[in-house]
Amino acid sequence: MSGALVRMGAIVRKEFRHLGRDPRMLLAVVITPVIQLLLFAYAISFDVENVPTIVIDLDRTPTSRSYLEKYEASPFFEVVEHGSTLADVDDAFDHNTARVAVVISAGFARTLDGGGQAQVAVLVDGSEPTAAKVAQTYSVALNQLYTQQLTRAWADAQGLDLSSLGMLEPRVRTWYNPERRSSDFLIPGLMVVIIAIVTVQQTAVTLVRERDLGTQEQLEVSPMRRIELMVGKLLPWTLIAFLDVVMITLLGRALFGIPLRGQPVALALGAALFVFASLGMGLLISAIAPSMDTANIIALLIAFLPSFLLSGFAFDLAQVPIVLQWLAYAFPAQYMVTISRAVFLKGAGVADLWPEFAALAAYAAVMLGISSLLYGRRSSR
Amino acid sequence: MTDRPDDVPRPPEKDAGAEPAISLRGLTKTFGDFTAVDGIDLDVPRGQIFGFLGPNGSGKTTTIRMLTGTLRPRAGTARVLGVDVVRHPDRVKRRIGYMSQKFALFEDMTVDENLRFYAGVYDLPAERFAAQREYVLRMADLVGREDELTRNLSVGWRQRLALGAATIHSPELLFLDEPTSGVDPVARRQFWDLLYDLASRGVTLFVTTHYMDEAAHCNRLAFIYRGRIIADGSPSEIRSEHMDQRILDISTPDVDAVLPWLEAADDVQEAYLSGASLHAVVAADSPLTPAALTGRLAAAGFARPDVVEVPATIEDVFVNLVARHR
Repeated sequence: MSGALVRMGAIVRKEFRHLGRDPRMLLAVVITPVIQLLLFAYAISFDVENVPTIVIDLDRTPTSRSYLEKYEASPFFEVVEHGSTLADVDDAFDHNTARVAVVISAGFARTLDGGGQAQVAVLVDGSEPTAAKVAQTYSVALNQLYTQQLTRAWADAQGLDLSSLGMLEPRVRTWYNPERRSSDFLIPGLMVVIIAIVTVQQTAVTLVRERDLGTQEQLEVSPMRRIELMVGKLLPWTLIAFLDVVMITLLGRALFGIPLRGQPVALALGAALFVFASLGMGLLISAIAPSMDTANIIALLIAFLPSFLLSGFAFDLAQVPIVLQWLAYAFPAQYMVTISRAVFLKGAGVADLWPEFAALAAYAAVMLGISSLLYGRRSSR
Repeated sequence: MTDRPDDVPRPPEKDAGAEPAISLRGLTKTFGDFTAVDGIDLDVPRGQIFGFLGPNGSGKTTTIRMLTGTLRPRAGTARVLGVDVVRHPDRVKRRIGYMSQKFALFEDMTVDENLRFYAGVYDLPAERFAAQREYVLRMADLVGREDELTRNLSVGWRQRLALGAATIHSPELLFLDEPTSGVDPVARRQFWDLLYDLASRGVTLFVTTHYMDEAAHCNRLAFIYRGRIIADGSPSEIRSEHMDQRILDISTPDVDAVLPWLEAADDVQEAYLSGASLHAVVAADSPLTPAALTGRLAAAGFARPDVVEVPATIEDVFVNLVARHR
């Protein structure tokens, strides 16, 4: 046993030496995650604030003006233009000067005063779907708010006490991320993308390099067992992946105030399972890739793209085509994104997330199993 | 060259009564329909330099991989240092060493770190590594360059370092797969001196090469061609047993034109390039003399060539063996 430890230690020490000697690799696994974190958190923002808005008041009454003041006062809308005809909306959308248009048709005040249902057209530029969706939600909420005010004003005028009247009052609140800050949402997901890149890519490439150098052949004739070599190879990358997890958690907290509401142990367990699944994927690539370049490209295809696009990190999986949803089930990233967000934002624990943990564990077992089989078959050819 | 310090464990001394270092019977390996090694029998005595010769793709590396326990044969038995290596590859791994033409060194690590890594791979105790490291550094003439990156060493140094790394655990039997490929002649010469030194200490060396001039350095040889052993024995045995023809050496500036002419000539069995000149193989009882061949070549319009009869080299024997088995 002590012999096995010495042999694994030799591999681990050597892996860290490679890392220390190769500034590019060090950059890729330590500095790049930080840069990505800053880049994603600052530059890519799904926050919806100050949506440029054009208002067209065809009614021109005190009532219509008081309605429009609601938009002026809201932090979500910024009234940038007062138009006079519908053609102005086209113009504003075409020139990207506005993304939302609020059109009050003539007769708005009269209809309201007459107890009728007045209509306000809210036009949303759908070319930026996230902003469009949020803007739409807010304008609906605004309308409801205004309707309530109108109702209350009407009731007051009639001398009625509304408290005796059962009324439905919608109150929309966002839990877990009440301010709907996209960094809260992005950073736990980004952690997953970064782990996937570091582990899959580096494992895939280092093992192929070992084969190119002839050192794998050399190790095969030595007393080193295959399992010792694999553990020795995977251990350093596991440590580095965890270093990245800790780094992102701390930076996320320090710079963006991302809360870690759940049990750190749940996050660590999820990260460990996800790292093993990713390492298994890296080993699999290295077992089948004929060259470093191929290994790099396959790693990009099966590690980076799915964890970026099909994990729910950037796009809501419920909104992608069904085929892609099924494809997403085939990659471990989406389970980890779910775990990461639930632990960070919802304060979830292991018990809440057992299906995801089970999926990751199964994935890790299958990946490591297949790759060690392939690895063994290749070496006995 | 320096002597190995006395406190370093030496490989066991040659023992005439001991089992051969390698003993193969009917060893076969197939890949799909392709038979890479076809039922070879071979005995390699201990403490010798054994040359395993053959063209690329003839089955040399496949044989070595079966002998080192990394490849399972399809059929046959392989005993290495008295151990059935097919059944118990792990029992022999500490006693054998392996060096390939790739050298298997980490170029981003120093000389010392490479040696330390392989010592770790064989989990050598610290004191044994210290002594062995000393020996390897002196052997490879790398004293004072321990902290140099392997990347910055020339090919000859890297080759010696690779030999040192492959022998860090003092193996009794060392496999060398084309160890001198791509190395300049001076470095090759120095390398063979190191191999002689190892052999003189009782290490058995199993060397594959396609450099025929290196064959003469070996105590015994085996030729493998298309997965079969077509000759084996000492170099002189092989020459006398497998070569009953005469060799005429033709020096001519007109090699490209003379070669096809010789190949077409009735009484020339075989013609090929040998170094800068051409060799023509003629039957032992052929009346063709050097003078007669000179005359015929001159008559055929070639610039007057220089023809002499030479003793057959190992290369001549090999070319003829291959021609016979083709």
